Amino acid sequence: MSCAANFRKQISKGLTCSPRHGLLAKRCYSTPQDSQEKVLQNEDDWHTLQETRARQKHIMDRFSRLGSTQSRDNTWQPHHGLHKPPPPKDLTLSSLVAAGAHFGHSSSLMNPNFLPYSYGTRAGITIIDLDSTLPLLRRAVDVTRAIAARDGTIVFVGTRPDLRRVVNKAAERMGSNAYSVGERWLPGTLTNKVQLFGPEVAQTQRVVPDLVILLNPLANMHVIRECAISHVPTIGIIDSNVDPRIVLYPIPANDESTRTAELVAGVLSIAGKEGLERFREQQAAAQAASQRSQRRRS
Amino acid sequence: MSVLGCSRHVMKQASIYRAYATTTSYVPPAADISEAPSGPHQKLKPGSPSFYTGRQNYQDQIRGLESAANLSRLALKKMHLLPLPKFAESSLPPAQTAWKSKITLGGMIGEKLNTSRYRKVTSILNEIDELRRIAQAAGQQTLEESIADVVSMFEREDKETVLARGRRKPVKFDEWGRSYTVGKRKTSSARVWIIPVKAPPPPVSSEAGPMEAEDHAAEAEVTNEVTLGPNPNHSSEPPIPVTTSTILVNGSPLADYFQHPADRERIVRPFKIAGLLGAYNVFALVRGGGTTGQSGALSQGIAKGLAAHVPEVQEILRKSKLLRRDPRMVERKKTGRAKARKAYAWVKR
Repeated sequence: MSCAANFRKQISKGLTCSPRHGLLAKRCYSTPQDSQEKVLQNEDDWHTLQETRARQKHIMDRFSRLGSTQSRDNTWQPHHGLHKPPPPKDLTLSSLVAAGAHFGHSSSLMNPNFLPYSYGTRAGITIIDLDSTLPLLRRAVDVTRAIAARDGTIVFVGTRPDLRRVVNKAAERMGSNAYSVGERWLPGTLTNKVQLFGPEVAQTQRVVPDLVILLNPLANMHVIRECAISHVPTIGIIDSNVDPRIVLYPIPANDESTRTAELVAGVLSIAGKEGLERFREQQAAAQAASQRSQRRRS
Repeated sequence: MSVLGCSRHVMKQASIYRAYATTTSYVPPAADISEAPSGPHQKLKPGSPSFYTGRQNYQDQIRGLESAANLSRLALKKMHLLPLPKFAESSLPPAQTAWKSKITLGGMIGEKLNTSRYRKVTSILNEIDELRRIAQAAGQQTLEESIADVVSMFEREDKETVLARGRRKPVKFDEWGRSYTVGKRKTSSARVWIIPVKAPPPPVSSEAGPMEAEDHAAEAEVTNEVTLGPNPNHSSEPPIPVTTSTILVNGSPLADYFQHPADRERIVRPFKIAGLLGAYNVFALVRGGGTTGQSGALSQGIAKGLAAHVPEVQEILRKSKLLRRDPRMVERKKTGRAKARKAYAWVKR
């Protein structure tokens, strides 16, 4: 948290620092000389800037080896939520709390069907019971892994600007069999596939997926309706103002938090990846067995 | 016990006359495992991860461009060029981009683009172009070329023409060192040729200096060296050689063509403000309009020519609005009015 506070202070001072480059990269570059107004007129000036920065970084790296053993490589960084999610077996209650998954909506807006998953009320909001979230998340993980192990196609749906990167990354991590929808889901994707994709694609390709994972189900009720019509199982992050019965495998958690979405999508994508590996192993074993039987016959 | 046995008998009797049609228990069709699919899937899986967005080609293009931008940023970060300090941002060469049109880009991507999607694509392209400019300014040629390869696919074919549209063309000088410029005011237009007056040789002998350069064949030879008389306050000082210039308008000298002192002043003003009085000879052809229009057109033409000969003077001429084409034109007469603004006499009834 102190890292984030420091980072915000530097931004307010007007320093240019992209969040992706991290705090230490900027700290090791800034010197009193840099704050002066200098015009870089030719290539030599740019080379001087590069050399100065390389020297500063070298000094920082040398001194980083002294003192604290913590470094950028062995501590948690803000971008790890998206790029390095924990594997399902390492999923703990504290990681859910750290991601802010227990914050629900206002208690007055709580859906009565959500009561089994709520822990109580604090500061006017419903606190979600993470003791019920964790086993349900593990169940969703098992479902994802099993579907992927049977060569099933999985679609990650997250239709908010901050969820776009999350679903794209999750689909990328799983590789084949995974798809993502980061912007508005076109109504009729499953129920009107002939018109949307054309008759050839609708007949020759598997348009109807085998699993749909929704990171914001309340905004995508039409997706849920289409999945119900097309008999597609759904997993969804259910907040306290949502009826948990709309999806087949609800995960009661905070749907407004990006970090929770990163955690859930990350964990499910890793499970899907494990399932795909199992499928490939089974295929390889089946192929080897058929080859052996062919040889025996010949 | 007899009561129970009696009731059981009643129940058995009742069961013979059943109210339902089937005798076997009902099994819903979903649980019928004989219909469960077995074996590998027959149909192909969709290829692109953006298949379910409905805009597969566009999303794939966006993904590709974003990954190109990320890779470029990573490469620049390794070279310590990113994050860029604020003072370096102003040292970057300005962005000169001309992307393909919405329709062309849509054809390239394979999907119709609406304005918001086109703007998204161009915004990412502008980001990538900024990274290319950083690499270019720092002299990293290989990286700049690889980024330019990505970006050049989306640039217009006639990019240079489009970028040169707003730019003023530089004034050309011919083999004698004359500049040719055009000035306009109201309905008059002036074509102005300016040539620098040759500096006189150092005053070794008392004889007159060499001739100036000719503007046109019609011009008579005029010595432009004039020596001022002895200064009564400083009699010991040598005489100061001063050059004079000639201004010919439609073949006539300035004083003959423009009788009104205001017109003459308007023409000489650019020289005065630039501090180049007597340094340049001018030959001009003016057409159209009246005296004010022609003198104003000449003034602009002369100012442009002086700015071409002496670029340092451009700033001061621009500030004094002499380089500006005066946009004021004669306002048209309107119906219901005697002239453009003059109204007819107001009558009470």
